[in-house]
Amino acid sequence: MSTGISLLHRKQKNEALVEVCSVRVGATLFGIPIQHILEIVGKARPQPIPLAPGFVGGLIHYRGDVLTTVSLRYLLDLSPLDGAQDVLVLESGAGCFGLQVDSVGEVLSVSGVDFEPNPSILVERRRTLLAGAYKLKDSLLIMLDSERLDPARLGPARLEPARPSAAPSA
Amino acid sequence: MDDLTREFLIESQEGLDRMERCLTELEERPQDKELLGEIFRSVHTIKGTTGFLGFKRLEKLAHAGEGLLGLLRDGKMTAGATVITALLHLLDGLRELLKTIEARDSEGDGDDSALIARLEELQAPAQNAKARNAGAAPAVREAAPVKAGIATAQPEPAAVKPVQAPAAPPAPAPSPPPNNIETQAPEPAGPAADVAALTPAEASKSRAQGAASESTLRVDVALLNRMMNLVGELVLTRNQVLQATAADPNMTLLSRRLDMVTADLRESVMKARMQPVSNVFSKMPRLVRDLTHALGCRARLQMEGQETELDKSLLEAIKDPLTHAVRNALDHGIEPPATREAAGKDPEGILILRAVQEGSHVVIEVSDDGAGMAVEKIRSKAIERGLLSAERAAQLGERDLLQLVFVPGFSTAAEVTNVSGRGVGMDVVRTNVEKIGGKVEIDSRLGKGATLRMRIPLTLAIIPALIVRSISQSFALPQGALSELVHIPPERASTAIEWIEGAPLYRLRGRLLPLVFLDRLLMPGRECRLFTDRDNFIAVLDADGRRFGLIVDSLADPEEIVVKPLNAVLKDIGVFSGATVLGNADLALILDPGSIAIKAGVTMSSDEESAHAVEEESESEAARMRYLLVEVAGRQAAVPLADVLRIEQVPLSRIEYIGYRPVLNFEGQLLPVEDSGGILAAAAGDPEAQVVVVVCRDGNRHVGIAVSHVLDVTSGGNLFEAGTGNRTEGVTLLKDRVTGVVDLGGVPPLPAHEGAPQAWQPTAEVLG
Repeated sequence: MSTGISLLHRKQKNEALVEVCSVRVGATLFGIPIQHILEIVGKARPQPIPLAPGFVGGLIHYRGDVLTTVSLRYLLDLSPLDGAQDVLVLESGAGCFGLQVDSVGEVLSVSGVDFEPNPSILVERRRTLLAGAYKLKDSLLIMLDSERLDPARLGPARLEPARPSAAPSA
Repeated sequence: MDDLTREFLIESQEGLDRMERCLTELEERPQDKELLGEIFRSVHTIKGTTGFLGFKRLEKLAHAGEGLLGLLRDGKMTAGATVITALLHLLDGLRELLKTIEARDSEGDGDDSALIARLEELQAPAQNAKARNAGAAPAVREAAPVKAGIATAQPEPAAVKPVQAPAAPPAPAPSPPPNNIETQAPEPAGPAADVAALTPAEASKSRAQGAASESTLRVDVALLNRMMNLVGELVLTRNQVLQATAADPNMTLLSRRLDMVTADLRESVMKARMQPVSNVFSKMPRLVRDLTHALGCRARLQMEGQETELDKSLLEAIKDPLTHAVRNALDHGIEPPATREAAGKDPEGILILRAVQEGSHVVIEVSDDGAGMAVEKIRSKAIERGLLSAERAAQLGERDLLQLVFVPGFSTAAEVTNVSGRGVGMDVVRTNVEKIGGKVEIDSRLGKGATLRMRIPLTLAIIPALIVRSISQSFALPQGALSELVHIPPERASTAIEWIEGAPLYRLRGRLLPLVFLDRLLMPGRECRLFTDRDNFIAVLDADGRRFGLIVDSLADPEEIVVKPLNAVLKDIGVFSGATVLGNADLALILDPGSIAIKAGVTMSSDEESAHAVEEESESEAARMRYLLVEVAGRQAAVPLADVLRIEQVPLSRIEYIGYRPVLNFEGQLLPVEDSGGILAAAAGDPEAQVVVVVCRDGNRHVGIAVSHVLDVTSGGNLFEAGTGNRTEGVTLLKDRVTGVVDLGGVPPLPAHEGAPQAWQPTAEVLG
């Protein structure tokens, strides 16, 4: 089930090193601290849920449990992708959920020195989703936080962008 | 909270539960040494451990109780009603403290001095007596801890031999600060008589308890839930393995073994979640005691089948309904002693709690021998509240009327007492029991008593469900709410549904059933209509008295599903109660019929629903015959259901002919087949054709009737000839149509294959 992740072990003795799993959504590189990731389910096809809030991607079957997935594309206002997607099984305070991303990349070790918090010009809705960024050599690794992406916290209304077509009639 | 405290809390709770049971029994047998010993031990253990853990308040309270209990056990006092009430208060006080400790890890700073004073006050007379005899029998007080110390710490047979009994240190825990009683008798040398009171039975009992604790283990319920989940997953994986290896003969043995082990494992894990109903029943004696005191009636509680086991979560769920049922039985059922005597009954009423397993259900009954329910009172109340029309109420049978007490807000109590009578009790019983997939009904005979019966499924985690499809997805529909399925063939699709201003309705046996289109519900904006190019299905659901038809695209197989919880975000949608993984590894959402009904606005208009529902279940209406409605070459006809043996679909090639009489070789016997509709003839020539034959009984011979379709099972009304009022023969009123009844006697016997067949005429003419 899980795709092999090649661990990049840069033998640095820097204590502020963080291991981050990189994922790609659209053209952007995002990162999630690996300690929040329980498993990566590759090529999943979440089952859609009628009437669910738009950010809910669907349901997947994970080790005897049924997990709700969150569509990162939806949260970022990107058009949905057809076909199978990778799903990260994340742990948050309230339990487990799946995060649907386009593809999962490698695990990077980043140093705390390169971290920057969210810029002030970021729109409010994005600011609630993102948790700052690491400056890589040639790009930015934008950090995601599993707590902020938990479907129970995203709530039915708060992050719902004005998309009449997808608005549930709850 | 440290492990030691947690362990202490669990053990103390168990001890107090035991104490509660014993106390109520003690009232019956105030002299029972064993009971007193048991109660004493519970309190003593708490006192001992609590001193060790440093809960001073708890220790003081337990100590005061122990003093009283010691006197009782030594026979210095008798356990009268006042003493038992005080001990019950002690129990409540101890429980309260344990609860506080559990919540806050400290005892809080409440004041128990009133309770302690009361407990000491009760000891006073005995103490005075003792003081008088002080010279003769010293050291009465201290004897108690000694004995308990032996019972708990050294359950060896030696302990029962008085001569060898040493002046044991009182309990392993540090001794409490001695109070004035103890200072009166500082010598801990328990007299022989006291140690002798520790009977061999007591000693062996404590030994048995020791053995039990070695062979059992406390397990977190969350872990059991997790195990159940994993077993569910294993079952699924097994199904896939079985499918994948079906063709490989080398794997057969292995996969069969896997199959067996998985089934066993699943059973064991389910068993691990089971608990005896006595866990809930044991709360009842206290309730009965308190209520009878409050209500001024007398009742004896009998409990049967306490060892019957039920899933833990279900056991929790029936606690409330059971409490309500017991309250009701005492408040409305059992009369005051004077009334009972006047009626020639024992002034003490009997309340019976009975649990018994019946197949995959556990039946729990609460019966009383009280006044029963006045059906006429229910009838008039129902009319008065507008639940039923007077006309309708007059038609309903007794049993059906009784079920009306489950309608919310229905109470026949003349006045509201603080025990019951607000009309919520029975409603709560039904709601709670139905929530866990159970059923509840009531039986009563006026003056003889009433019985409330709850049918509870054995387990919640796995429920039977029908898999239906809509918007190209699978959904699971719990069987518990499903009352029947209606099939609408494409050719009837355009006329089957009737509309009142946009509200779709289906005429089910003459009644209008509100319809909900599942696809429209799930994808708002879809058009409501039936398919004219394929079959349509209506699942008739009954959710908490809300009756409606759910239109689905197609039906798949019934399946036992493992219920998985949904994320809170999805629960808020209010249509799904969970999700499950199907045998083919697909995911399916579990539909919640109750929420769907509410979402779609199906109300519990009680006249329609409850009256209807009870009518459905009614078997007493002998006047209305049940018919199998069949279609023969475009016309409808009815066959009395009692005569139908079975319905067979057979290939046309199996129909043979004797002369021109068609016969069917059916289970080695020759069955004449009636074909006045010309169905066999019409299908002749098509080698693939199948015909439906309804096999009926006519006297002691069997006959077959060839039909095009079997439509429904329905009740027929009698028709009366205008003017004469004579009942007509051969026709009946089905679905408001006059329908011909097949005359089975008219099918000619086989040897007489000559002669014109006396055809029954399907006279399915619509009259208006």
